[in-house]
Parts: sequence; structure tokens; C-alpha cells
Amino acid sequence: MSFQKFINSLKLRTKFMLPISVLVISSVFAISSYLIKSQNENMRTDLEDKGIMMLKIVSTSAESGVLFESEYELNELLERVTQFNDITYAAIFRPDNSLLAEAGIWDDSNIESISPFIDEDIIDEKNIDSLVIGKNGKEFLKMSHDITTLINTLNREILGIRAGNDIKNQSQVVETIGKLIIVISLENLNKSIYESKKTAIVITLIVLLLTIIMIAFFIDLVISPIKQLVSVAEKVKMGDLSQKADLNQSDEIGHLADTFDNMVESLRETRDEIEEYNRNLEQKIIERTLELEEVQVQLIQSEKLSAIGQLAAGVAHELNNPLGGILGYSQFALEKMKKSSENASEPIDHSKFIRYLTDIETQARRCKTIVQNLLRFSRSSKSTDFRRVDMNAVVEDTCTFVEHQLYMNQIELELILSDKLPQIQGDAGQLQQVFTNLIINAMHASPQESVIKIATRFSQSVGEFAGAIEIIVSDKGSGISTENIKKIFEPFFTTKQVGKGTGLGLSVSYGIIKEHGGEIRVDSTVDEGSTFTVILPVQNIVESPINQVSTENQ
Amino acid sequence: MLKSVKNEQMKKNILIIDNSEIIRNLLTDYLDDLGYGIEMAVNGQEGIEMALSRDYDLVFCDIHMPKKNGYQVYCEVTEKKPQLPFIMTDSLPDDLADKAVDKGAFACLAKPFSLDQIEEVLRDIFKRD
Ligand SMILES: Nc1ncnc2c1ncn2[C@@H]1O[C@H](COP(=O)(O)OP(=O)(O)O)[C@@H](O)[C@H]1O
Ligand SMILES: [Mg+2]
Repeated sequence: MSFQKFINSLKLRTKFMLPISVLVISSVFAISSYLIKSQNENMRTDLEDKGIMMLKIVSTSAESGVLFESEYELNELLERVTQFNDITYAAIFRPDNSLLAEAGIWDDSNIESISPFIDEDIIDEKNIDSLVIGKNGKEFLKMSHDITTLINTLNREILGIRAGNDIKNQSQVVETIGKLIIVISLENLNKSIYESKKTAIVITLIVLLLTIIMIAFFIDLVISPIKQLVSVAEKVKMGDLSQKADLNQSDEIGHLADTFDNMVESLRETRDEIEEYNRNLEQKIIERTLELEEVQVQLIQSEKLSAIGQLAAGVAHELNNPLGGILGYSQFALEKMKKSSENASEPIDHSKFIRYLTDIETQARRCKTIVQNLLRFSRSSKSTDFRRVDMNAVVEDTCTFVEHQLYMNQIELELILSDKLPQIQGDAGQLQQVFTNLIINAMHASPQESVIKIATRFSQSVGEFAGAIEIIVSDKGSGISTENIKKIFEPFFTTKQVGKGTGLGLSVSYGIIKEHGGEIRVDSTVDEGSTFTVILPVQNIVESPINQVSTENQ
Repeated sequence: MLKSVKNEQMKKNILIIDNSEIIRNLLTDYLDDLGYGIEMAVNGQEGIEMALSRDYDLVFCDIHMPKKNGYQVYCEVTEKKPQLPFIMTDSLPDDLADKAVDKGAFACLAKPFSLDQIEEVLRDIFKRD
């Protein structure tokens, strides 16, 4: 398993190189060691044959010398023997193991150790005595051969003949008269074997080197197209589909590259198609979004108009009172003026006239405010118009619209406005739309004679907001079921009959409040009532007292 | 003629029930100038209490008011004092005003009304006496 892993982790080059190198080394090693071994054996046999020949010749030649104990002649002979290559030492012993003659150097020249008659048992038929390891580790081959002579048992022979024995039966006795010993140095042999070994190693190395170079070259031939393929694939991965491998090879890798190129090609086509499609889609989305925005604006507007429709009566009511005041007081003042100009006995009471005219002016202003308010509310605005807004004023303005409607339904409105509200950035018209809807919703849900409370307050922190204004609209009405409460912010969700509800109020309100960075929370219990809390963050608290803001209409 | 009303008749008392301050003021100024005694209530409930606790010759009553609307006031008061004449005032054409008139309210004046209209109605009412 881990071996498998190891193999897998190797590079292709190493994967090839490793087994081939092992193969090359082991085969060269096997061949050369076989060759060296047989060379060794051949040379050794040669040497031994030479030695045997030498032994035979010399022992024959030495016969007479030994017989006559001619040391001089023997020394001469042995001297000549040692001049042969590899023969380092030659000696002749008498049968009693005493040295008769010797030549050459036997560095381990303990004569006893090579005494031929001491360890007869190890002499084989080839007369190879033994392998001797010399003092300095050199190897020697010790060989021996008997020196024999034919002895005619002369006396007995003669006697035999004379005794009438057949001459043929006369026996000749081979008598060993000495032993020839030669010591052959194996140094040259070993040296040449050592040389062979060295050569074998060098050859092995050269072959190995050549193999590696060859493999490297061939592997490169195999690898470089793969590398190219990989780098192209890498670029393709990064999204550059214009890349091509273009190997122009007809082997498997070439085929792979062609397939790859085809794949990239079709990928590119597909991508282009998708991009084209996406572009169209984007265009369509933009168009649809624009259309939707248009519809959204229309929806907001229609929800607004629906609210205005419901509130028109209230607005008229609000207008008719000051108008009545204006009409009445101007008539009254006019009549008085006429009378006093006709009749000097009725002088003009200036202080009264000032009061009438002041009232007329005040009421005219109130009409103006109401009309402006209505216009601001009903104006269709595509973009929000953010200005400093005093939320108390927004709430109060809204109340002027709905008051009448509430009176009609005998519902009381209770305002608890905080006088510590900072101003916020907002679109007063849109915010008014939100509260109009919240109040109308509360009104629709409330039974007669109940109270709708509207409170404003500033909190240092509400939920995620650090500094926010809360406007709380709560009613004691029907409440909203848990099933419906999830849906009330959905466009067109309404539980009201046609004409009374569009189902857009809360969804539009939600959008408006979101745009102000705030949120709307609902808390409702069926049959107990609902509380809608609008939270508007105070982004940059505008330091200005509320009183400064005009609230002419009250 | 105004003087004659003042002099010839004992002073008539009128109750004005309206939540609109400007209307109350206007009616007060005008009717006071004509020589009537004026009292005011600012909502329906208060109006009922006053109408029932004191004697008035006429009630001006608005229809749209918090805490009991004008129709309720009319019904509750005339139940106890069926003879008391009511002039309803209304800023919108409304079922409630019609109902009150159907039930016997003397007239209904649509706001904004002119002083001539009031004068005319007053004349009609007090002519009967
Ligand atoms: N204060 C409330 N009390 C009870 N139900 C409410 C209240 N406010 C909203 N709802 C419910 O939420 C629904 C959706 O409200 P909205 O979006 O304003 O549409 P609409 O008022 O036109 O029906 C209403 O139909 C009503 O069922
Ligand atoms: Mg609504």
C-alpha cells in the first residue's frame, strides 16, 4: 500500500529509470561475473596443466641428477625452471625429506611446511598439493611430482636367469628416488582477474550511464508532449479557452492531445453560447427590472390613491372647518364694516376686528397646510426625497388625514409624542404614507369606541440600531392570526373585501421603511389587538429642537 | 332688526356642540352679536351632559365629533327633551345627518355655511314661537 503510494509519488522519469537501471546493473553484473569466473577457471587450469607438464619434464630430467646426487646439475635445472613465468620456487627432496636442491624464492620458506612426504594424503592425481597462502596474503599453488627411476633388480635378475627363469619374467621396479616440488605464484592470475573485474565494473558503469542518457532522452520525448499538454490544460483551467496543444503526433499521446483540443474547442463554443445567452438574459433582466420598477411605482401610487380615496372625506372635513371659519368671519366682519359705515352710532371695535382677521389668517394657513400635505402625500415620486424630517410632525400630519375617518368610526386617537426626538433623514411624504396605512389598518381592525395609540420615542439602542426612533401604532382590534402574520407584508395579501383593501399597504410600507434603513415589527394577539412598531435609525443626529420645525397645522 | 330680537324677546339660550374651535368661536361671536345667550361643548359627550342638565332653546350640533357623534347626541338628548330643536352641522354629506333630519332635527347645514344660512334657519325656528 505504502509502496504503491511511493511508486505513485515518483515522477515518470524516475519510474522508468529505476527498474531499467536495476535491470542493466544486474544483467551486466551477472554476465561479467560469469565471464570472470570462467576466465578464472580457464587460467587456473592452464596454469595447472603447465605446472604438470613442467613437473613431468623436470622430474624426468632430474632423474640422473638425483641418482647421482649431482647438486650442481640439479641446481642448474631448477634455476632454469624458476625462470618460467609464475614459477617462483622449485625444490627436490630426497625420500627422507632432506633437501637436495632448490631454486627461486619461497618467501614462506619454512621448508617443513612444504615437505612432500609429510602430508602425502592431500596429493591428488594431478599432483596439486595445495593452495598455500603466503605470508603477505599472496596465493600460491604448490605442486609436487615423484622423481622415479627404473631399477633393474640386477642381482636378482641375473640370479633369476641363472636359475632358469624366463627372461620375460624379469621385473623392473619403479623406485621413487626423490620428489620435485614447484610453487606457482597465482599473483599474475589474480592480477588479471582483478583487472577483469575492474573492466567489468567500468563497462557496467558506462552501460548504465548510456542507459540513463538514452532513457532520459526517450523519456523526454514521451514527457515533453505530456508536459505541454499539462501546461495547456492548466491555462484552460484558468479560463483561457483559446489554448491548443497542437502536438501533431500520431501516437497515443498525439491522439490524447487531439482529443483534448477537440474538447477545449467544444468547451469554448459552449461557453460562447452561454455568454451570448447570458448577455441576452441580462438585457432581458434589465428590461424586466425596469418594467417591474415601473409597476412598483404604479403600485405605490395606486396604494396611495386608494388611501387618499379613503381619506378624501377626512381631508374635506378638515378643510371645511377652517373654510367655514374663514367664510363666516369674513362675512361677519364685512357686515359689521358696512353697518358702521352706514351708521355712525356703531363704531368699529378694532380689537375684535383684529381677532377676526387673525382667525381668518390662521384658518387660511391651516387650509394651505392641509392642501400642501395632501399634495405632498399624493405626489408620485420615483426617487425618494431625503430631507431632515421631524417624525412627530409626520405623525401629526398623518393624523389630520385620518382623524375624520376615525371620528366616523368612533375610534379615538391617542398621541403620545416624545419631545426628545432628534430629526432624521427621510422622505416625509413616503413616511406619511406608511403611517396612514398603519392607522387605517388599525382602524379597520378596531371595534367602535376603542382607542388607537400612537407613540413616538427615541431609544439609544433598539436591536441592531444604535440610536433609533420608534413609532408605535397599537390598536385593540381583531389582531392577526399566526398563520396570516407571515403573509401580511406580501403584496396583495388582504383579508378585506374589495374596495376596502388592496393588500399593498404593508408591502409598500415595508419597502419605504427598508429604504430608510429601518424595519417594521409586528406583535399581535388575536382578539386583543396588534402593535406595529416602525424603527427608523438616526444616522446623524441633527441637533435642533423640534419646536423649530413648523407645525402650523395644529 | 337685530335689536328688535334682543328687545322683544326674552334672551334665547343656544348650545353649540362642535369639536372645531374656529366654528365654535365663529358661532359664538355671531350669535352673541345677535343677542343670544351662548354655551359651548367641545365633544358629543359633553354636549349631551350640558343639553340635559340645562335648558336651551336651540342646539347647534356637529355630526363628526370624538366621543359620540352628532347623531348620537341628537338621539340621546331628544329622547329626554323631544321639543328641543337641533340644527345639525356637517362638513360632508353623510347618512348620519340625513338620519337626524329624518328623525326630526330642524335642519342640517353643510359646512362651510354662510352666515345668511344661519340667520335664515334662526328666523324659521324662532318664528314659530
Ligand atoms: N392592525 C391590524 N390589525 C389586524 N390585521 C391587520 C392589521 N394591519 C394589517 N392587518 C392585516 O394585514 C393585511 C394586509 O394589510 P395591508 O398590506 O395594509 O393591506 P390592506 O390593508 O389593503 O388589506 C390586512 O388585510 C389585514 O388582514
Ligand atoms: Mg392597509
